[in-house]
Amino acid sequence: MPKIKLINITKTFDEGKVLAVDNISLTIEDGDYVFLLGPSGCGKTTTLRMIAGLEKPTKGKILIDEKDVDGIPPEDRDMGFIFQHFEIFHHLTVWENVTFGLEMRGYEESYIIKKAKKALEIVGLLNYADEFPSIFGNPGLQKLGIARAIATGAKILIMDEPLGSLDPKVSKVFRHELRNLIKDLRLTAIHVTHNQEEAMAIADKIIIMRAGKILQMGSPYELYENPNSIFVANFLGETNFLQGFVLKLLEDNTMQVWIRLGGPKLLCENKQHKFNLDDNILIAFRFEDVYLFPKNYNFEDSYYDWSKMQFFKASLDSSRFVGATKRFYFSLDNGDKFVSVKPGSYEENYQKGDEMIIAVHLNDIHVFKTPKNLFHELSLS
Amino acid sequence: MNLYNLGDILSKLSKALQDQELKNVQMPFSLKFDRFFSKPIYRKSLDIITILFFTLVIIGPIINIFSTIFLNIPSIYHDVFNDELIGDLQWLNILNSLGVSFSIATIAVIVDIVIAFPIAIILTRYDFRGKKILDALVDLPMAVPTSALGFSVLLFWGIFGISPGMILIILGHIVFTFPYIVRNLKIVLEKAAILYEDAARTLGASGITVFRTITLPMMKEGLIAGAILSFTRSLGETGATLILSGLVETAPILIVGFRRQLELPSASLLAGILIAISITLLFSIKFFSRRGSFSVKRVWPNLERTLSRKTLRHLRDILAIIILIIVILIPSFYIISRINEGNLFEELFLGQDYKWVYLYMSLMSSIQIGALAVIINLGFGIPFAFIITKREWGKIITILDTILDIPLAIPSAALGFAIFLFWGPAGIGLFQPGFFMILFVHVTFTFPYMVRPIIGVLESSDVGIEEAARTLGASNMTVFRKITAPSIKQGIIAGCIMVFTRSLGETGATIVVMGNIRTIPVLIVDWVEANNIASAIFASTVVIIFSAFLIFALRAVTNRRTKMIAKN
Repeated sequence: MPKIKLINITKTFDEGKVLAVDNISLTIEDGDYVFLLGPSGCGKTTTLRMIAGLEKPTKGKILIDEKDVDGIPPEDRDMGFIFQHFEIFHHLTVWENVTFGLEMRGYEESYIIKKAKKALEIVGLLNYADEFPSIFGNPGLQKLGIARAIATGAKILIMDEPLGSLDPKVSKVFRHELRNLIKDLRLTAIHVTHNQEEAMAIADKIIIMRAGKILQMGSPYELYENPNSIFVANFLGETNFLQGFVLKLLEDNTMQVWIRLGGPKLLCENKQHKFNLDDNILIAFRFEDVYLFPKNYNFEDSYYDWSKMQFFKASLDSSRFVGATKRFYFSLDNGDKFVSVKPGSYEENYQKGDEMIIAVHLNDIHVFKTPKNLFHELSLS
Repeated sequence: MNLYNLGDILSKLSKALQDQELKNVQMPFSLKFDRFFSKPIYRKSLDIITILFFTLVIIGPIINIFSTIFLNIPSIYHDVFNDELIGDLQWLNILNSLGVSFSIATIAVIVDIVIAFPIAIILTRYDFRGKKILDALVDLPMAVPTSALGFSVLLFWGIFGISPGMILIILGHIVFTFPYIVRNLKIVLEKAAILYEDAARTLGASGITVFRTITLPMMKEGLIAGAILSFTRSLGETGATLILSGLVETAPILIVGFRRQLELPSASLLAGILIAISITLLFSIKFFSRRGSFSVKRVWPNLERTLSRKTLRHLRDILAIIILIIVILIPSFYIISRINEGNLFEELFLGQDYKWVYLYMSLMSSIQIGALAVIINLGFGIPFAFIITKREWGKIITILDTILDIPLAIPSAALGFAIFLFWGPAGIGLFQPGFFMILFVHVTFTFPYMVRPIIGVLESSDVGIEEAARTLGASNMTVFRKITAPSIKQGIIAGCIMVFTRSLGETGATIVVMGNIRTIPVLIVDWVEANNIASAIFASTVVIIFSAFLIFALRAVTNRRTKMIAKN
């Protein structure tokens, strides 16, 4: 059963001048649907191409089924590859495209016909078998690309931005079909994308890469709830960042932090005593984790447990209705800005300039040490 | 064991059963063959053979001519600078011929550019009936053997009493270099997106201002490439010049003369000088073409707005078309109207010297040489184009890529002479002047014409589909056979036709190495010089029609290619 293992893989281009992949190791279990996620230029596509045999690693080993595949050309690796720009053979018909890989393996004709028919049926293009691919739009071409890749019966499916050339709406529907197909055929799949929403929606496991390195891997839930770095927190979902420093270390793994320039004082977790007094820190909380209350809200009347809520004041700059959600833009006294997202049906009559009470739950606040190059860490590339 | 696992196991079982239906897996022979020859060792040996061919055929003769000059300094010095009888007259001749050649080429290119700009714009930006025919007519002189063109020009301007000499040479050179400039301008004009021009128009620039500040800078490289190509073609032309020159001697004609009189030291010196100049030109262009720019800062809105007026624009277009017709199109094909000249039948078929046999035989040699040159260049050109586009050898590729253009730049008479020195009795001694040496020369100077279009399609063709085929299990060779070759077919065919037409039309290099064999352009020169006007007209008409046929084939092929690209 296919299990893909990368051990200390490094890849450089231009005689070592460009470092594309920097000493990464990872394991992809049989039947997993794994995403390589990261901004463009992070080395995810290079990693993918090395697994497919289209590039040769500069250093390190790739094991498939515990077998070193070094020197095995792509045609002998028995993988299906799906490309962003489809790479359909336009001089061949739909049928000839789908049977190409089967013909290359020298199977007998009845078997080829059966397999190709099955593949075309799965993607719903059986009626177009005799046509040339030029009749298709992008979704049709990609369906053909998928049929062509799975027809060979390869157990590993490799996808390089397979939904990247489709319209956003189409791709949102298509991605679930893709996942169902992969699960039905019990394939081990690797999917490269820079679209975090796409990865969150259909991945079993996400590997986040940046500048040739792996930052974090795990299930979508793990990554979203426990980002291990500023970049991951920023890249997945929408996150507010505020700068401050540690004011007081408290018992039971908590500490009091003070947002810079006389901003509010907040209570944060300090697991494993990572932070020391006076450390410069960056606190992060998601847009949707920010609760809003009018200035004169009476907390005593509510039965809710407020003990772990952190309260501070902020003034409303503006608000936008975006269909499914409403977005509120706030400033603190010190000028720092943050955003809150509520459902579109959220009822309010807040005015611009209103002084409001903001609440964030202790567990929703992530704390990071302020890095030297904060600007770089907060950029999404 | 829960229900989910049970389903899992069942489906795995059924999968296993399905795969058992696959009994005899037998690779067809062709795939096995491909797989065998896809081994890196075969690819590497093909690379080595191709590079070896390239070195021997193109670099060898050129290096050889310089070493010959260097080794024979005493005899060159004696013959050229210090002859007992004529002193340094040879040297003065050489200098004079170089001066003549350069002035002719310069004037021809300037006139070409002036006519070509409006014509290129008319052919790319306007839509009118008969555009395709005009387009084809403009391209045609490129395919017709220059000696036939030159003869036609001679006959046409003869009506107005212009006799052979400088002016007639210039008129002739304008005719056959014109298509190169128009073609290159057209390519860049088509590529330069009209959107940019629209943007400038909406910002308030008038037609001429847009052209000068937006279009022209985008056209720079095409203009330079076209000018260089025309310049070198004019510099190296022999066939038409022989017919039009009278007493004037251009550099290639002087080489032919030296070769005929077996003054080899003088010939090698002149050939060496020409090759050195051409290579310098080529390299400096490659180096400088990206720098330098047109002044776009200064704007004279009112003046240019006046000049952009519709009436003036129409006037310019009409003038350009009239000049095109009088200076280029009519002189090119005037000869066909003279087909009934004199007593053709008697001269051709009933003469004592069996002219029709000569005509037939030289036509056959031309076609055979052209076809063989195509086949040989096909064999080495495809691997060479692959080396240039696919191998990652860094600087070596840049060097090979530049050297590849050298045969385009150097005068074919000089190249022919260099090859004669290298392979002929004076050098390696493998060939005597004659059929095979002509073939060899033609293979050399047509090689870039084969490789360039293939490189073009390879670069524009999608690497992705090749990778897709490999991930589907096709070996390197199979990918080439089934995926790459069909998608670059048009480029290969275009290359073949270009090679064939260039081989068919070549005079200078052929004269230098031909021995007793005659090709059709040389035969025309011979007959014009021997005053067999009627037969020469007939032979010229035959090749013009034949070439017209070829150019229409070429256009059909390249059109289909652009359509295919547009469709994809």
